[in-house]
Amino acid sequence: MADSSKSDPLSTALDNRLDELFREDEPTPAAPAAAKAKTSPLDELKKIVLSIDWEITPEALDSFMDQVRLLKEVYRDDKVILVFLQVLGSLGQYIKSSRSKVHPSTFNVLNSVFARLDEIVSAPKMPLAIRRKLLQAEMDAYQGLRAKITQRRTAEPAAKPAAATDTAARTQASAGETVTPEMLSRAVAELKEFIRTEMNALRQLVKPAARRD
Amino acid sequence: MAFINLKSKIIQVKIVYYGPGRGGKTTNLEYIYRKFHQRIKSEMVTVKTHGDRTLFFDFLPFDIGVINGYQIKIQLYTVPGQVKYNATRRLVLRGVDGIVFVADAMAVRREKNIQALKNLQENLASYKKNLHTIPWVIQYNKMDLVEQGIPILDVDLLEHDLNRELKRPSFPASAVKGTNVVATLKKIISLTVASIRKELL
Repeated sequence: MADSSKSDPLSTALDNRLDELFREDEPTPAAPAAAKAKTSPLDELKKIVLSIDWEITPEALDSFMDQVRLLKEVYRDDKVILVFLQVLGSLGQYIKSSRSKVHPSTFNVLNSVFARLDEIVSAPKMPLAIRRKLLQAEMDAYQGLRAKITQRRTAEPAAKPAAATDTAARTQASAGETVTPEMLSRAVAELKEFIRTEMNALRQLVKPAARRD
Repeated sequence: MAFINLKSKIIQVKIVYYGPGRGGKTTNLEYIYRKFHQRIKSEMVTVKTHGDRTLFFDFLPFDIGVINGYQIKIQLYTVPGQVKYNATRRLVLRGVDGIVFVADAMAVRREKNIQALKNLQENLASYKKNLHTIPWVIQYNKMDLVEQGIPILDVDLLEHDLNRELKRPSFPASAVKGTNVVATLKKIISLTVASIRKELL
């Protein structure tokens, strides 16, 4: 296709410009994450978290759970990291079981929990107080998500009884609207009384006017 | 057809990186951005769907300067690879001038590559375009995984699956390591600009 135009001046100028713009004589600045990942035991988990963020597949979720299990072994003596991994495991389990019905906030929490865990693992000298503070913040977010999920789950079945109650109420209202002979005679009596009252009032108004005439 | 402003002599070229999910389309753009952002003086934009986790598309615009009196602006896009986002893919393909088909060289992804190429053909057809006329190249990504003992499809097999009929330029690559990322980009820009020029004449 374009190879035939390779020798024309425009193609040559373009190729020269592209060579100049995209010359690869300088080392590629490593992505900060990549540089860190070299020594990070979370390297594999990070890839999986990113891939889950892109597409949820059974393979990715299985790999995720496997990695979490593996890391639990690695960090079995570090309680803070262990809690982080337990939260990630719970989130993975929830995503796996709910798939398309996953609460949309789940991925924000997952990414955030992983990012904090990464931060802690990358800084072995981080004081325990700060580690705990970071953990607490993520635990709060996780609990918040759980509350949202529970709320959504209870709202769904609750919608059905609510609808049933509504139907029952409507049925009752319908029953109330059924006209019995007794109700009809009472209504006629009320109407007669109303007309009588109105007629008396009219008579009172008409009488003085008739006298004036 | 590219956006061409004859008055101000600007040609805007839209190139879309297409392919199966998790094949490395975004990694291609990330490598280009990471390596050349100071030279191309541009920002990469990643758009996510509202309140959702899903990547909508990536966008990397840059100027390559004035060539033969025309200022050429390149816009690189990726599409979401997931099957369910076909409407988004089709939308991103609107007005496309050139395509990089990023195939996943992992053996387990063989079928996905074929499906994605078929999907590309279908979506191009909705814009009355086809792979016989539009400039496109193929990149066989993740070739580096062979070093980790992961089963990789042979280039001949990939060519047979995806390129036996049209015989487009193809590049065994590793977007993570940057191998042939630039070669792929240069080739598609050259082909696309040549094609636009041909249409203009």
